[in-house]
Amino acid sequence: MRLRSAFATTTLLGFPVAWLVVFFVVPIAIVALYSFDVYTLFPEQHGFTLAAWRGFFHSSVYLGLFWKSVKMSLIVSVVVVLLAYPVAYYLALSGTKRKYVLLLILIAPFLTSYLLRVLAWKVILGNNGVFNSFLVWTGIRSADHPVSQLLYSRFAVMLVLAYVWVPFVALPIFVSLDTLDRRLLEAASDLGASRLQGFLRVTLPLSLPGVAAGFLFVFIPTVGEFVTPSLVGGTSGYMYGNQIADLFSTGFPDWETGSVLALFLLGVVAVLTLVFSRFTQMREAP
Amino acid sequence: MDVALSRNGRRVLRAFFVLLVVFLYAPIAILLLFSFNDSPVPAFPLSGFTTQWYRDFAANPDLKGALGTSAIVAALSSAAAVFLGVLAAIALVRRRFPAKPAASALLLAPLVIPYIVFGISLLLFFHATGVPRSLLTVVIGHIVITLPYTILVLVPRLTQIDVNLEEAAYDLGAGPFRTFGWVVLPLIVPAVLSAFLIAFTTSFDEYAVASFVVGTRQTFPIYLYSALRFPSRLPQVIAVAVVVMVASLLVVVGAEIGRRIAERRLGTITPS
Repeated sequence: MRLRSAFATTTLLGFPVAWLVVFFVVPIAIVALYSFDVYTLFPEQHGFTLAAWRGFFHSSVYLGLFWKSVKMSLIVSVVVVLLAYPVAYYLALSGTKRKYVLLLILIAPFLTSYLLRVLAWKVILGNNGVFNSFLVWTGIRSADHPVSQLLYSRFAVMLVLAYVWVPFVALPIFVSLDTLDRRLLEAASDLGASRLQGFLRVTLPLSLPGVAAGFLFVFIPTVGEFVTPSLVGGTSGYMYGNQIADLFSTGFPDWETGSVLALFLLGVVAVLTLVFSRFTQMREAP
Repeated sequence: MDVALSRNGRRVLRAFFVLLVVFLYAPIAILLLFSFNDSPVPAFPLSGFTTQWYRDFAANPDLKGALGTSAIVAALSSAAAVFLGVLAAIALVRRRFPAKPAASALLLAPLVIPYIVFGISLLLFFHATGVPRSLLTVVIGHIVITLPYTILVLVPRLTQIDVNLEEAAYDLGAGPFRTFGWVVLPLIVPAVLSAFLIAFTTSFDEYAVASFVVGTRQTFPIYLYSALRFPSRLPQVIAVAVVVMVASLLVVVGAEIGRRIAERRLGTITPS
């Protein structure tokens, strides 16, 4: 409906859209210009080339690092969805009266500082940290043989990322299960389906959009993660995002290659988002 | 018979829920425990009770300065993000225009961009335009990041409000500003506040983007990250971690409860 004498649509949309065009779209376009050497960090080597892109696709180091990050991120996303699903199922379908209170308890840690939650694990996992000193103190292990390589490992990165994202993933899964029409399950049961059959053929398919959304919510931020690996990952937990950050750091900057790495990541994420959102919408349609 | 869960199934799932909550809160509890431990190294056995680390942190000007800086950055960026978010949400809910899918895709796009990519994009943008890195550049970046969150909070609330209320205001001769200020705004105040809080906490905690565009004055996450490299500062950092985490938990939980209560009251004058 169009209200008489109301603000014009362009007035309303003008500011937010202009803000995002100037400070979001244009900066990404500038990254693209750098990746083609139209802009360079050192102005003397100007001109359009595909050198940085060619170098990227021929580099086993960068692509290897990308696949390593994808693998770590996939494992984290799958584990997190598997942990969150039963919890969301319990809250949405067990008929508990306090489901929103319990949901808030579950999600609250996600709303506290990300960096500080990573810090907590750094304190826990260190060689002389809380976990190892607890084992020594209680006599489970001798002081000379701590459980080493807890911190600064691929395991530490994946553990911390899973810890950080579990509460958030429970949310979309909860929403998809909470809006499920229970009469469908009753109908399935009346027609002779067991609870397991009802789950596999009614509940699970109807909750897949929530699962897909949750999966994407974890995968996107973790595949480009660089903060957690730099704090708890050491060399074996080094991820693609760390490589990008290092190419822009003060040591040996290579903004052209860094721009290629960043755009490649952005492209992969954009394709995933489009595919998943199509999938989610298809499922939601009756 | 319950069609979703057997009695044993419910027990198993409840136990699983409790275990997961323990897993989520244990690290926070461990920080709390060691923030009062009388030893510069956080390890067992506990060596006695002290409030020294809290006093150290209260006496550390850099740390307090960084907290203040982050508060300013978060207040500025979330105020701007909420302002832009209200405009965008009204357009998306109340207007029909052909480019709506494209506009909403653009407005929500910052939700899915990896922060490292956005961080370096801003770095190159400010480099190319010759803008020096400062707190202002951090604020600009945080407005982009938090804008979609404010829209996601405001849109559902706006869709609940009966458009006839606005029609009536126009019929009675109110202009667009008066209609917004006297009719729409009072009804969306709870959502505006919770959008502000979400934007504020996001900005206050944001490290990835800020690390690329921050100038010489450090925000709290930037300070924290650099402090983590010095073991001698660890106990203080743990103390401040406890303070920040408890404060943000209280604010978030309080805000959510407040919003529910307020919207239940306001809800009586809107159709459901």
